[in-house]
Amino acid sequence: MALDFQASVMWESVPLLLGGVHLTIIITLGGLAIGFVLGTATGLAKTARGRLPRAVADIYVEAIRGTPLIVQVMFLYFGVPLATGMRIPPVTAGIIAIAVNSGAYIAEIVRGAIESIDVGQSEAGRSIGLTRMQTMLYVVWPQAFRRMIPPLGNQFIISLKDTSLLVVIGVGELTRQGQEIIAVNFRAFEVWLTVAVMYLVMTLSIARVLRVYERRLNARFGR
Amino acid sequence: MKTCETPMIEIRNLHKTFGKNEVLRGIDLTVCPGEVVVIIGPSGSGKSTALRCINRLEEITSGKVIVDGHDLYDPATDINYVRTEAGMVFQQFNLFPHMCVLDNVTLGPIRVRRTPRAEADRLGLALLEKVGLADKAAAYPDQLSGGQKQRVAIARSLAMQPKVLLFDEPTSALDPELVGEVLEVMRALALEGMTMVIVTHEMGFAREVADRVIFIDQGRIQEQGPPDEFFSAPKNPRLREFLGRVRHA
Repeated sequence: MALDFQASVMWESVPLLLGGVHLTIIITLGGLAIGFVLGTATGLAKTARGRLPRAVADIYVEAIRGTPLIVQVMFLYFGVPLATGMRIPPVTAGIIAIAVNSGAYIAEIVRGAIESIDVGQSEAGRSIGLTRMQTMLYVVWPQAFRRMIPPLGNQFIISLKDTSLLVVIGVGELTRQGQEIIAVNFRAFEVWLTVAVMYLVMTLSIARVLRVYERRLNARFGR
Repeated sequence: MKTCETPMIEIRNLHKTFGKNEVLRGIDLTVCPGEVVVIIGPSGSGKSTALRCINRLEEITSGKVIVDGHDLYDPATDINYVRTEAGMVFQQFNLFPHMCVLDNVTLGPIRVRRTPRAEADRLGLALLEKVGLADKAAAYPDQLSGGQKQRVAIARSLAMQPKVLLFDEPTSALDPELVGEVLEVMRALALEGMTMVIVTHEMGFAREVADRVIFIDQGRIQEQGPPDEFFSAPKNPRLREFLGRVRHA
């Protein structure tokens, strides 16, 4: 059976899908912003001297990395309210899920980048009297941050795609919008193709923005 | 050898173990203000470790290290403050690659001493002038030769106006033709009366500039004395063997 491809279906689905794109972007940006803070704090805790912050960070990272995102999402949305008696709106749950999930992976990126900076850099900072915190802030972090950009870009792209899993809790993001259109017109080929292109445009944009940013940082640092 | 009532550095019965490896087995050393002490010894002898203890870059197993009256390993000591009194110059320079040369030098004054930037810049430029690199203030470390990097590192240490400068094999990572410019800066500092402890393999420099030369081997000071005696009539057989090897290298 040959496919009766109708390009017009693609165009017609665009306005509705753009509504989904909008929500996908909000959840991605919100989730990653919180995830970056969470990941940085956790990554720093992993390099801390104290055993307690390291242990807490390890448990968090292992728990998140070792379980599927879809299970985390359903646990947060369907499970947690049964314990707390408080329902979480789907979009909020989505942002929290992306934040907590990306935070665990970003923590590993932050830790790895910090540990990749030669220990002589910290020693030089400490030798001129900087405190541990000042050494991190002025000496180690600026160098580590530059090394984080490529893996962070990867994680941003992964998290953006992960928002599609939020269909399971009924968040009206891009994938969900696609499903709903197909439920009406049964044009799976055209609609999923359009959805795919829209994801691709977003992920390529992230990659491009980060590449430009990285180049600018390098130029400023004189290399 | 200088004698003094109030030593700048006092190390008493210093022990340091890395796991099962006993690197320092009881070091006693007193350095007077203005004294230039050169430490030599075979690799793995513990000489760099001993030096790093004077700035608390290593934790120690037992003993005491007192710098300008501050007990470095006393928990009550403000280690950040004491570290500003003893500058460290590293074998690998350890310049901050993301900052221009001037910012490398002024980071300490601005962040630790809270010196206003304009004043810190003036100080920084004066120090760069002193090490002959005023024209490189805006350059980045990657654009400098090894010798220039090490001179910047010395300027960076001097910016904190330390009472002691510690040098950990400052010329060992340099191409031979760049060693001279760094030694020249160090020689000038010695003449100004800076207290210096230098771990080095530059025997000619030690003979010329040191007030006292110390031979560390197997975690202990095996012999010490004024350079003339030390080099011309070494008593310790291991020192004799070491000097023989270095001279023929």
